[in-house]
Amino acid sequence: MSMNDLIATIKKVLEEVDVVLGWTRSPAAGVAVPARFHTPDEADGAIFDSTCTHNLAVHLPRLKNSKVGIVAKGCDARSIVQLIVEGEVSRDRIRVIGVPCPGVIDVKRAWRCFGFGKKIEDAGGRVHMEGRSMPREEILLHKCHQCQDQEPVIMDLAAGDVKSVTPPPPPDKTGIRERFAAMSIAERREFWREQFSRCIRCYACREACPLCFCRDACSMQTREPHWTGGQVNAIESEMAQQVRTSHLAGRCTGCEECERACPVGIPLMLLLEEQNRIVEELFAYRAGMSLEDKTPLLTYDVNRDGGWR
Amino acid sequence: MRFIAEDAIPRLLEHLAGGGRTVWAPRVARDSVNTVLFAPWIAGEPVETGAYTHLSAKATLLPPTERLFGFSYLQTAGEERIELEPEEPEENHVLFGARVCDARALAALDALFFPAGGGFNDPGYAGRRSGLTVITLACTTCDSACFCSSFGKGPAETDGSDLILYPVANGFLAEPVTDAGSELVRLDLFQDSPLDKPELAVTDRIETAGLREKFIDLFSDIDLWRQVSEKCLSCGFCAYACPACHCFNIFDEMSGDREGERCRSWDSCMFYSYTLETSGHNPRPEIAHRYRNRIGHKFSYFPANRGEILCTGCGRCIRGCPAGVDIREVIRAVQER
Repeated sequence: MSMNDLIATIKKVLEEVDVVLGWTRSPAAGVAVPARFHTPDEADGAIFDSTCTHNLAVHLPRLKNSKVGIVAKGCDARSIVQLIVEGEVSRDRIRVIGVPCPGVIDVKRAWRCFGFGKKIEDAGGRVHMEGRSMPREEILLHKCHQCQDQEPVIMDLAAGDVKSVTPPPPPDKTGIRERFAAMSIAERREFWREQFSRCIRCYACREACPLCFCRDACSMQTREPHWTGGQVNAIESEMAQQVRTSHLAGRCTGCEECERACPVGIPLMLLLEEQNRIVEELFAYRAGMSLEDKTPLLTYDVNRDGGWR
Repeated sequence: MRFIAEDAIPRLLEHLAGGGRTVWAPRVARDSVNTVLFAPWIAGEPVETGAYTHLSAKATLLPPTERLFGFSYLQTAGEERIELEPEEPEENHVLFGARVCDARALAALDALFFPAGGGFNDPGYAGRRSGLTVITLACTTCDSACFCSSFGKGPAETDGSDLILYPVANGFLAEPVTDAGSELVRLDLFQDSPLDKPELAVTDRIETAGLREKFIDLFSDIDLWRQVSEKCLSCGFCAYACPACHCFNIFDEMSGDREGERCRSWDSCMFYSYTLETSGHNPRPEIAHRYRNRIGHKFSYFPANRGEILCTGCGRCIRGCPAGVDIREVIRAVQER
C-alpha cells in the first residue's frame, strides 16, 4: 500500500462523511498519532505504518452526531463490529477504510529502551532506532503475533491489498506470559499485588478501551454503588480492574489498548486474554467477528429466562 | 567543585537513609519493561540516574492517597460522640534523582499548600516539605518531549534543589544550593575536583508571554477548545504524571458502620465526575471544557492567583499520553489564534 492510495481513499470517503479518523506523523514523537481529517488538504497528512498502534474505534461512540470515516486495521475492525452489535454505533453513519497491516510496534517499549522521539524505521524485517536494530518480531505488540484478523471483518473501501499481508510468527518464549503461566496461584497473587501497587487510577485503560462505554458513569468512580473505595492502593486498584475485566467478558476483542495506554506498564492483557480464552472455550465465540452475532453474556432475556430470582 | 564517583552513590543513599529517613529515588518497577518511577529506595537496590521517570516526583509530598484522620462513633452512657484520631505528620523525606523540572514544581506546590508569606499550611504537606532534602540530577541531554527551556533558567534552574549533581565522566560534580546541600558535600564521599560543569541540555520551547490574558480572551472560543482537544480521551494520566498538578478529592471510607477514615486522593479536572454536581448538572460536560480548564489553570488562573505557572516543561504528559496529545501544540494553537 502506498501513502497515495491511502490519501486518495480518505479523500474519496470525505465526499460522503464529515470527518475521517486516521493517523498523521507527530514531528515531536516521530511516530503516528491519531488525527481527524475534515478536508482534502488535511488528508494529505495521512499515514499508515507500523507505529499506527491506536485503536481509533474508541472515538466512534463520541462522534454520535456525525458521519464518520475511519481507517481501520483488522483488529480495530473487530471493535467497530462489536460497537455496532451493541448498538453504540450505527452502521449507516460510518465508512470503514481497511488497511493492510503487517503488525504494529510496541512504541512505548521501544521508547523505554531507546528514548522518546527516536526515529523508528521498520524496514526489511527489522526495526531500526538510532543506529541500533532488532528483528521486528521482538518488538511487535503481543496481539500481532499469529494475528488471525488481518483482513478487516467490516470494510467499505480498502486502501491497498488487505489480503496481501502475512501474520508475524509466534512470540518467543521468554516473555511475561510464559513466566506468568508458570506461577503458582500464590505467586500470581503476589504478582498482581505488586503490579497494582503502582496503579495510579488514572483510568487510561478505561478511556482507551473502545468497549468500555460506561465511561462518565463508571462504577469505579462513583460513591453509589460503592464497589471500590477512593483510596489509591493495590487492593482497590485490583478490585477496580477486576470489575472492568469482568464487564468486558465476551465483549473484549483483544485490541490491547488498555495495556498500551497504561502509563505504569501493568500487563492488563494477562487478565483479558485469559477471560477471552474462557469465553471462546465455553461459547465458541470471539467478540466482534460478525454483525449477526449476539454477545453471549448479552443474550439474557428477562421475559424468556424467567426474570430475576 | 566537589565530585562524587558513580560507585559512591549507594553509600550516599545509605547515608541519606540514616535516621529513618525515606529516600525516594528513580527505580525500575518490578516485573515491568523499563517503567521507571520514584519509589522509596531499598538498600541494595539499584537507582536509575540516567533514565526519565514516567511519573513526576510529587508523590513524595502529595501521596496518591493520604489519610487525614481516623474517626469512630462511640456510645458512652447513652450519648453518642465522634472520636477523631489525628494523623501524625511525616517528616524527613529525601528526594534523590529529581530533575530540574521536578524541583522547580515545588515552588508552585508550596504556593498553595505551604505558602512562604504565611496563610494556610496543609499539615501533611508542610510536615513532609519542611523535612525534605532535594538532590537534583542536572540534564546534559534531553529528548524531543522536554521543553523546560521555556521557563526561567531552564535546565540551569536551581530553585527547589538543595544539591545539584552534574553528570561527568565516572560520576557527578556536586553544587550545593542550600545549607543542607553544603553539609552533604562536606561528607568524605565527595572530593574536590578541578572539572568544570558540563554543558547543559537545550530543549524545545513554548512562548508563555501574554498567555494569561490570551487565555481569558479565548475562553469562549469553544471551537478552538474542541479542535485542540479532539484527540484527548479524557483520562487522568496527564494530571497524575504532572509535577505541578495537585487537585484532590476528600472522602470518607468506612470500615463497618462505627469507624472509618477521612482520605484525600489525587483527582483530575479531566474526569467528568470532577465537576459533576449533586443536581446532575455538569458545567464541564465536554472534553473540550475540561481540557480548556487544564490549560487555564496551568497558564492563567494559577499564575494570576499564586504567581506561578503550573507547568515546568518536563514533557511527561507528552511522552505518556495514550492518545498522542502534545500540550505544546495546544499552547501554540492558542498563541496563534
